[in-house]
Amino acid sequence: MSENNKEPGMAYSMPKLHKVMAILSFIFFVTTIWVFMDDYMRPWKGYQIEALKIKRRHLETQIKEASKNIDAKKLAELEAKLAKSEEIVASRKEEIHKVEKERSKIVTKIQEQTIINGVLNGQVGAKNFNFETAEAHHDSKKVPKLYKSLSELKAAFVKGKDDLKLYQAQEKEVHARLDALKVEVTSTEKEIKDIKNTLDLLATAKKQTDITPVFALRNLPFIDFMDPTIKIHQIVVNNVTDDRYFRQVPKVDRCITCHTFIDQPGYEKEENPFRTHPRLDEMVGLESKHPMKQIGCTSCHGGEGHRVNDFNSAAHMPDSEKQEKDWIAKYNWHEPHKVPQPMLPKSQTEASCLKCHQGVELIPGASALNDGRMGIEKYGCNACHKIEGWEHKRKTGPSLEKIAGKVSKEWFKSWVWEPKAFNKHTKMPAFFRQSNNSKPEFVRLNLAEVNAIAEYVWDKSKPYTPNEKYGGGNAEVGKELIGSIGCMGCHGVDGLEDNSKKVKAYAGPWLSGLGSKVSPDWIKSWIKKPWHYQEDTIMPSLRLTDGEANDITAYLMTLKNKQFEELKFAPFDLAARDELLADYLSAFDTMANSKAKVAKMTDREKTLDLGKRSIGKYGCYSCHNIEGFDGYAPIGPELTKEGSKPITQFGFGIQHDVPHTRDGWITAHLQNPRRWDIGIDKVFRDLQKMPNFYMSESEAKKITVALLAQVSDPLPLAGVKRLTASESLMADGMKVVNKYGCVGCHQIDGLRGDILGMYMDDINQGPPRLVEQGHRTQTDWLYHFLGDPSTQKIRPWLTVRMPTFNLSTAEKNAIVNGFQQGAKEATFVETAEVVKWAPGEREETLKLFTALNCIQCHTQGFNNETPLAPDLRKAGKRLRPTWIAKWISNPQAIMPGTTMPNFFGDNGKEPIEAGYFGGDAEKQINGLTKYIIELGAK
Amino acid sequence: MLKALINQLADPIISFPIATLAFWWMIKYYRFFGSKKFGMWALIVSIPVVAWFFADPNFYLIIKTPDNVPIGILLILVCFFTWFSLHKAAVNDERIEQGLVPIEALPENREKVWSWPNLVYTELFAIIACTAFLVIWAIIFKAPLEEPANPTWAPNPAKAPWYFLGLQEMLVYFDPWMAGVVLPGLVVAGLIAIPYIDTNPKGNGYFTFMERKWAIISFLYGWLVLWVYLIIVGVFFRGPNWTFYGPFEYWDLHKVVAEYNINLSEFIWIKGLGIGMPKNLILREIFGILLTFAYVGIIPVWVAKATKIGRKFYEDMGSIRYYIFMFLFITMMSLPIKMVLRWLFSLKYIVALPEWELNL
Repeated sequence: MSENNKEPGMAYSMPKLHKVMAILSFIFFVTTIWVFMDDYMRPWKGYQIEALKIKRRHLETQIKEASKNIDAKKLAELEAKLAKSEEIVASRKEEIHKVEKERSKIVTKIQEQTIINGVLNGQVGAKNFNFETAEAHHDSKKVPKLYKSLSELKAAFVKGKDDLKLYQAQEKEVHARLDALKVEVTSTEKEIKDIKNTLDLLATAKKQTDITPVFALRNLPFIDFMDPTIKIHQIVVNNVTDDRYFRQVPKVDRCITCHTFIDQPGYEKEENPFRTHPRLDEMVGLESKHPMKQIGCTSCHGGEGHRVNDFNSAAHMPDSEKQEKDWIAKYNWHEPHKVPQPMLPKSQTEASCLKCHQGVELIPGASALNDGRMGIEKYGCNACHKIEGWEHKRKTGPSLEKIAGKVSKEWFKSWVWEPKAFNKHTKMPAFFRQSNNSKPEFVRLNLAEVNAIAEYVWDKSKPYTPNEKYGGGNAEVGKELIGSIGCMGCHGVDGLEDNSKKVKAYAGPWLSGLGSKVSPDWIKSWIKKPWHYQEDTIMPSLRLTDGEANDITAYLMTLKNKQFEELKFAPFDLAARDELLADYLSAFDTMANSKAKVAKMTDREKTLDLGKRSIGKYGCYSCHNIEGFDGYAPIGPELTKEGSKPITQFGFGIQHDVPHTRDGWITAHLQNPRRWDIGIDKVFRDLQKMPNFYMSESEAKKITVALLAQVSDPLPLAGVKRLTASESLMADGMKVVNKYGCVGCHQIDGLRGDILGMYMDDINQGPPRLVEQGHRTQTDWLYHFLGDPSTQKIRPWLTVRMPTFNLSTAEKNAIVNGFQQGAKEATFVETAEVVKWAPGEREETLKLFTALNCIQCHTQGFNNETPLAPDLRKAGKRLRPTWIAKWISNPQAIMPGTTMPNFFGDNGKEPIEAGYFGGDAEKQINGLTKYIIELGAK
Repeated sequence: MLKALINQLADPIISFPIATLAFWWMIKYYRFFGSKKFGMWALIVSIPVVAWFFADPNFYLIIKTPDNVPIGILLILVCFFTWFSLHKAAVNDERIEQGLVPIEALPENREKVWSWPNLVYTELFAIIACTAFLVIWAIIFKAPLEEPANPTWAPNPAKAPWYFLGLQEMLVYFDPWMAGVVLPGLVVAGLIAIPYIDTNPKGNGYFTFMERKWAIISFLYGWLVLWVYLIIVGVFFRGPNWTFYGPFEYWDLHKVVAEYNINLSEFIWIKGLGIGMPKNLILREIFGILLTFAYVGIIPVWVAKATKIGRKFYEDMGSIRYYIFMFLFITMMSLPIKMVLRWLFSLKYIVALPEWELNL
């Protein structure tokens, strides 16, 4: 504070204050610039400029391509011609000038007349109003006067219109004259334009990507609010909403701001975000079923579609560790915070299909989701956990209502204790010997529980005696039969591992160690007539002869598990039993009273009571029919909305290596459901009970996708795929088809057909693929065939058999209906109507039939050769006429790889022989169809 | 080791007595704490200590949260201005003792200057500087956008705005209507009443401590210990489930603290007398009610009669003003008293009448 600088009345020196002011003003100025720059510089703008460059590059190559296609010589010729034409036209300069002058006079007249007519039109209207008003008021004075002037005006108006027409006609005539004078030039110009049209269009498009001053001006900071070219693009999806808790808000997806070419073909090779969507035919594309403008992006991919701040704000999620590393390096990626639904990693995107596509077994095209749903079905997750839409599924495990007549109690106990010890392929999960219950004090109690369960099940089991006697057979032949007649469509079999792995069947158990499990009589009885043992089994009869049954039984009896046979289950620890019972009772009473109550029960009562409680505790009844458990609710928590469960509601225990995400938890849980108990001190009754299926990571991941699909997103009805009446009938049919494992053998419209994995060398040796089965077969034929396939052997060369299922009438109807609705076919068709020959048609057809040599393969009824194709005599009753025609015309399109040749070319429309029916393919096909139906009518 | 110790010390059970004790020391030795030397040393020592704190990932995680950064800055300002006022007061008090006038009363400091440009121009500086600071702040620390509000899913911990965290901390010890309505209401009423209660004309226009000892002590205790300290606890040490977490502790959602609190009536009727709780509500809570009346009725009278300072106050203020002052003061002191009782005896309420929604 130097006093000298200060003036009186001043605390500070003025120049100093000004300096401070200058510095502050500068800082404020910089800050202001900074605000605008911070607002202006957005990552997405960079992407759009990059996209502009890419588009330019593409246009340039297209232009090059287009100029290559232009015939330079012809163009030069035309240009020379144009020059000549211009000379010719120039010679008529005077005349043209004269006509043009004439025309401009007429045009002036037209313009003038238009004004006159407009004025008159208004006057007529006004006068008319006055006249009508006067009329209405009976103003006899004014009416005649007004009427007179109105009439005059109307007449003038009519004349004016007439004049206009006259001038217009004159103009047209003059115009034509003018054109005729210039015709040489205009026609040559048009020719040139025709050649260069594409090129010109491309050039115009390219011009739009030029960085011009106007472009710069429109995108300048601050004034870019008016009409920028670089801007956020968005799709508003009204039919899919975001849950904002207080209301449902239409989705706003701005992904296309950076993913600029997502819906445009041609950018498949660009780096993201500029790449075209990889499945444009199915998604995003204008002609696909899910066009971008209707479905948006985040409806399927999840994530924050409206946020374009930067890469992270959209909640992108990497699909692999490698991608994660790349993203961290490239975009500074981090896990999304405070985002309720981050994007689904690419491999899990199909989890979104289900929220719109419900009520069907499998969704065509969603292979990852379908795999997951098949995984749920395989392991029967839905048996213990309610999942809406899965209520129709049957219990996963076999009924235990006659178990005493099937296996020994000792076997049963060892099996329950550790199923994989007997059959390493079994789907039965392990409840015991797990990470959370292997302490000796828990094992002691577990053993008592298993003993009690066995006692209870045996107590309730009804007696059963097999109705067949095993008479000895050839195991080798039996093995051969198992491998060839179709058992493998549902079962994996020991000794046939190669094929079992190719099929990956899961409808039935993997056949292993049966010789150590059941009696030969039981097996024979079971394979001959499965429903003798269990009424509601889905196991069909393969109509085995006695000898075949014996052979198969012989083979199955050779499958033994010696180690397992020698197991002796621990004796029933009665003290442990009483302890457990008292523990159960103590939930509502003191321990002392509970113990006293237990002491009062008889020995048998105690055992059976603990058995029932243990079955209830572990939920055995969810998968197996056991008497005494009617009406019990499934044991596990419902999974219908698992994919929307908040992450905070998942218990991670102290498992820190499990990723703290929904999918991370589910995958880890499926691989070892007891892991959350590790390191946690719990009493016996509180231990996690979900059993261990010993799933591989890949299996667990597949099921994870299917469970993530179970979301609670409330979608507007308009956004959901609603099944039509026929689609829902088809879905009902497919439910029955899935229940009985038909899909284990038959590929239906491209889905499943597991057993075909065995027939990759020659697909025609496998069960027939069903393509539009409802169009192919006739309703009554299919119905009767399902009831008893043995009466209709269509493909005699096949070793694999169509089994006889224990189908109810309703189920048969559902299947037939489902197929028929799926193919959009009428219930019945009149075949006789079709066979009405035109004169000479039949003779011509017979000649064609011989020429094609159909009987080379379709031998039956014509010669005694071994048939290589279905019996044509049966086709008339079996196939629909329209199908026969469709099949004959292009069989390879329907069933690629079929032995039936494409006689009518790749498109099914080329005539086969010019000599027949005048080379008319349609008539040829018609004739053949009629003949085949006629064959069946005999 | 040291970090574990600090974590333990930060627990309000220990840190609150420490804060009270530190406050008492600060007041008692204000001339030492207000010296420039102390200020320098405090700054020199605190820089590496703060750096060491920042090096801890858990501490850093909490302190760098965008919401918490300004609170940290405000705390630094509180420290500085407290020291600054003590420093000024110490210098002046020494001068007054020597028979000199306070610095602010020196002739050169009493000189009058033009409000333009001396005041208005500098105010403009402040406006520009503040605006620039706030703009830069807004650019660098983006306002965090969180998920859409879900009425069925509250964030954990659910925290009030930082300036209310002292009140929220009080909710741990008091019934909501006490902590949320009565006590804040009394804070406002008390602040309004200050000019009518404290009519001491000294200390106008200059810093001093000795001339306004009681006013400064009671205000600063309420401000620093009962308000700022509780905000620090609320912002930095209260995590999920409003559980206490030390400055270096990870905010583990699953942390469980053993707490079971007992009402005074339960203490007396069940534990003390062993005859169970009477049915009659008034009878049941009679001890707490009597205690409360004694607290607000007898203590002021006793103080006025038995203590020197009390007699002086009573004489200076007259009975009504004296009682209002004492009522406000003991209400303020009820907070630390209740806190100590909670920690020592797990005392829930002194008067527990949930039937009438009246808990003290």
